[in-house]
Amino acid sequence: MTETDETTGPPVTLIDAIDMSKLDPKFREKIKSMPNGEALAACFACSTCTAACPTANMWKFKPHQLIRMILLGMREEVLSSNEIWLCLTCYECQERCPQKVRVTDIFFDCKNLAAEEGNIPANVLALAKELLTKGQLYTVTADWEREDMGLEPEVPGLSVEAIKRILKDTRTKKLVGGEE
Amino acid sequence: MVVKSKLPTYNLYIGCSVPVNYPNYEAAMLKVAQAFDMELIYLEDVACCGSPNLRAFDYMGWMTVNARTLAIADKNGYDIVTPCNGCFASLKDVYHHLKHDDETRTKINKTLKKEGLEFKGTAKPRHFVEALYHDIGIDEIKKKITKPLDGVGIAIHYGCHLLRPADVTEFKPEYLQELVEATGASVVEYPLWKQCCGATVLPVDEDLAIRLARDKLKSMKEAGAVFATVVCPACGNQLDLQQLGLKESYGEIYNLPVLVYPQILGLALGMDDEEVGLGMNRVPANPILDHLSD
Ligand code: SF4
Ligand code: SF4
Repeated sequence: MTETDETTGPPVTLIDAIDMSKLDPKFREKIKSMPNGEALAACFACSTCTAACPTANMWKFKPHQLIRMILLGMREEVLSSNEIWLCLTCYECQERCPQKVRVTDIFFDCKNLAAEEGNIPANVLALAKELLTKGQLYTVTADWEREDMGLEPEVPGLSVEAIKRILKDTRTKKLVGGEE
Repeated sequence: MVVKSKLPTYNLYIGCSVPVNYPNYEAAMLKVAQAFDMELIYLEDVACCGSPNLRAFDYMGWMTVNARTLAIADKNGYDIVTPCNGCFASLKDVYHHLKHDDETRTKINKTLKKEGLEFKGTAKPRHFVEALYHDIGIDEIKKKITKPLDGVGIAIHYGCHLLRPADVTEFKPEYLQELVEATGASVVEYPLWKQCCGATVLPVDEDLAIRLARDKLKSMKEAGAVFATVVCPACGNQLDLQQLGLKESYGEIYNLPVLVYPQILGLALGMDDEEVGLGMNRVPANPILDHLSD
């Protein structure tokens, strides 16, 4: 699972020439200032994170490359990549990084920045809408199952209003926009 | 071992996936808690944790929602227990963040003030099984086992967000392993024990999610597991319900019953299959019932 297929295609290093004019030198500072981004610059490109990842063998940009791309300032490529959304958030990479780079957390930061720019997969946006309009991700459809188990029919203690109230002042509302 | 003079009391954060998709998990947990005199008080007026999905697109929204839940628990100060890895991860991560980042805590508390709340960090979020392990303890649990599951091979799927990041979750695999062994069952080791069930990626790439579930089930089966245990509704969906999907997409039949841990413990404590809601499991749990009726 953890092997990368090196027999075909380019080797696991960045071989395409990088267009320097498109680099954003502030990108790395931005990520470093975000939650758990501090250790970003400690990365020494060992690619242990990639070796630990159960799904990177299907990715164009591997986890260690994404980290390198952030350091280089390849903002556009990182924030428009599918990889950050395909990350399972399983933390296998982060747990094994010898330099304590919080790889998974940094991908969470990237997703937030991508979302801010409107880069968000349709099904994830649908969840945003669900939370903003219904205030929950799952709704009871089979209350008899709950009653069979001696439980009250509705979700106990759940306030759907609280989350709606909070998210209408945050990015969720911006993302969902007027289509509520 | 401290002698407890009064009932251990907890705030229960049930989330929305367990009560909607796994009423049997909820009921089995309540019964197990009762068997060990743990008092669980449902938290009132709390919001959905938003799951890692909300964290991905709206970090501040996710922090505020979960800080609010933590602040509500702070009112009575009892620790929070939850049966869901997703809720656990959200609450624990936000708790950890707010404990270590004064600036964000001040900012969040400003927002919470409007709701008459304050995050103090008194009530710690914990997974229900961790509370069982530390507060009740393996010895006490063993004393109450009346129907030991002697020798039944169980594969444990911990779930990513229970184990990692370890400095945040503070959960060690041994906890659940010892809890399973306390029932008399034997833990089946399998190569992919750490690997993700695929639940998080379901909205983005369903095929990948199915493939990951399949890898896990295969690995468990090949190692000789008679059934599997999980402590999360999302993992449960991937490993139990998804077996129906795998029959369709890959034509493969695994017949590997997946029980949530309180169901296993409940049975070993002498509860019957109805009490722990075994009938609601998607893959029939016959092997374990056959064993118990022997
Ligand atoms: S494991 Fe850590 S140090 Fe090694 S490449 Fe990945 S992020 Fe960099
Ligand atoms: S957290 Fe994401 S990048 Fe890291 S190992 Fe898991 S899937 Fe790969």
